[in-house]
Amino acid sequence: MKSKILLVVLFLPWLSFAGGQEIYSENCEKCHGFSQQGSLGLPLYRSTVANHSDSYLKKTIEYGRPGRIMPGFKLSNAQTVKLIRFLRAGVKAPQYSKEPIVGDVEAGKYTYEQYCQRCHGKQLQGGEGTGKNFSWQKDRDVSPPALSNQGFLHAAEDQMIKHIIMKGIKDTEMMSFEKEFNFTDQMANDLVAYIRSHQQSSVFSDTPKAVEDEEPLVFVYQSQHDLNTTVEKLRDSAAAYNFRVYPTRTLFEGLGDATEDNKKQMVVRFCNFKNMQKFLKLDPRLGVMLPCRATVVENNQGEVHIYLENYVHAIKRFNNEQISIDAKDLIDSMKEMVEEAVW
Amino acid sequence: MVVRVFALCVLMFASVASAGHNELLIERVNAKFSYTWLALDKTIKANGYKAAYLQRCDFALNERHYKSDKYRILFFGQYDEMKRMSAKYPKLSPFFPLKITVMEEGKHTLIIAAPPITLLPLVKTDEDRMLIFRWNEDMKNILKQVKNQYK
Repeated sequence: MKSKILLVVLFLPWLSFAGGQEIYSENCEKCHGFSQQGSLGLPLYRSTVANHSDSYLKKTIEYGRPGRIMPGFKLSNAQTVKLIRFLRAGVKAPQYSKEPIVGDVEAGKYTYEQYCQRCHGKQLQGGEGTGKNFSWQKDRDVSPPALSNQGFLHAAEDQMIKHIIMKGIKDTEMMSFEKEFNFTDQMANDLVAYIRSHQQSSVFSDTPKAVEDEEPLVFVYQSQHDLNTTVEKLRDSAAAYNFRVYPTRTLFEGLGDATEDNKKQMVVRFCNFKNMQKFLKLDPRLGVMLPCRATVVENNQGEVHIYLENYVHAIKRFNNEQISIDAKDLIDSMKEMVEEAVW
Repeated sequence: MVVRVFALCVLMFASVASAGHNELLIERVNAKFSYTWLALDKTIKANGYKAAYLQRCDFALNERHYKSDKYRILFFGQYDEMKRMSAKYPKLSPFFPLKITVMEEGKHTLIIAAPPITLLPLVKTDEDRMLIFRWNEDMKNILKQVKNQYK
């Protein structure tokens, strides 16, 4: 009997992780890594998670970080509990009071500018790009979190923010400001009040903007020229818009025979390397959209159309505010480029 | 056959109804780039598709402070299906052939694809919707199968 109890005690930690690991593997490891070491997402080291309350982790999983890559996940309560238990790996969850911290926002702003701005950004927007990506040699090992992000502010308790400011996070660049800079309780309270002042009063929502949903998936342009002329004009126009133009292919090159019929569906591929590298820096997954291309099709009536994917929809999948802003110019210039070619 | 169609229908509606159907399909493979690339090529063929061509996107990435320049896109498809669909729905042509992005990430490789299910609004018949849904399932399966080869 005693040996059975001993076995149960020995296997208890494993039993408590069972299920959580599978949920992690299914949903999280693609971005946070096999060993939670971070990648597209931030590292989820045990020592990091040890500072986060269950409520913070639960809300983070549920709502994500709008505009900062991390999406929200629709897990059941039981799945979320299992996942959190797995991430904690036996480390006890910290308990923070829900009591809001009162502080002087102006004084907090001053402290922020002196100590925090260098890493977390002037607008508390955090570091650029992904959490921790091995493909890109950044100046920092980990991209500093965005403290003004509504997902973060929705999830984090004041007391948790204060605790992290004062004690820091082990194994990361977030140092203990109590130890290193003799922060007082009042300084930390003011800083928390300043960070909290960025929370919008409206109810947190991750509903996508309806305007974007009204956008067509594909732009269609009718050309006034025949197919070959349209292709040539499109290539010239792309070059004029500072794109490097690749050799033109038939739509099914490599898949089917080079029939005459297939030559009525041509693909013009082009790329602006400067833009490409800028976007890859913000999110290396952006390759799923590459290269930029427009399809030129002649139908049975002899009409020639150009079909251009509306990248607004593809961009939404990255949940990256910076990319959404920068991509708008690129999409507009591609539309102008095609309009010029068909005229 | 009827059971298979029914099962696909159920899966299709469940997928469309779920909030995450629009999200990128990603898998992390516990293998270096070259192994993953070979495994992907084989898996695509094993699933009845043909690799059309590759697009390298590694132009000067090393010079731009990337740790790796292993970044490629593999285009693939089934000719007859895509030919038929592009003739019926020319608006689908910018999305053909299907593609999977492969990028090195330290000792691992990430394989990423846009979900074909997002093309559903462009087609009109149930039969064509089913086909797009099958592409979506195949895409997910291909990514999973490559991942599982290096578990």
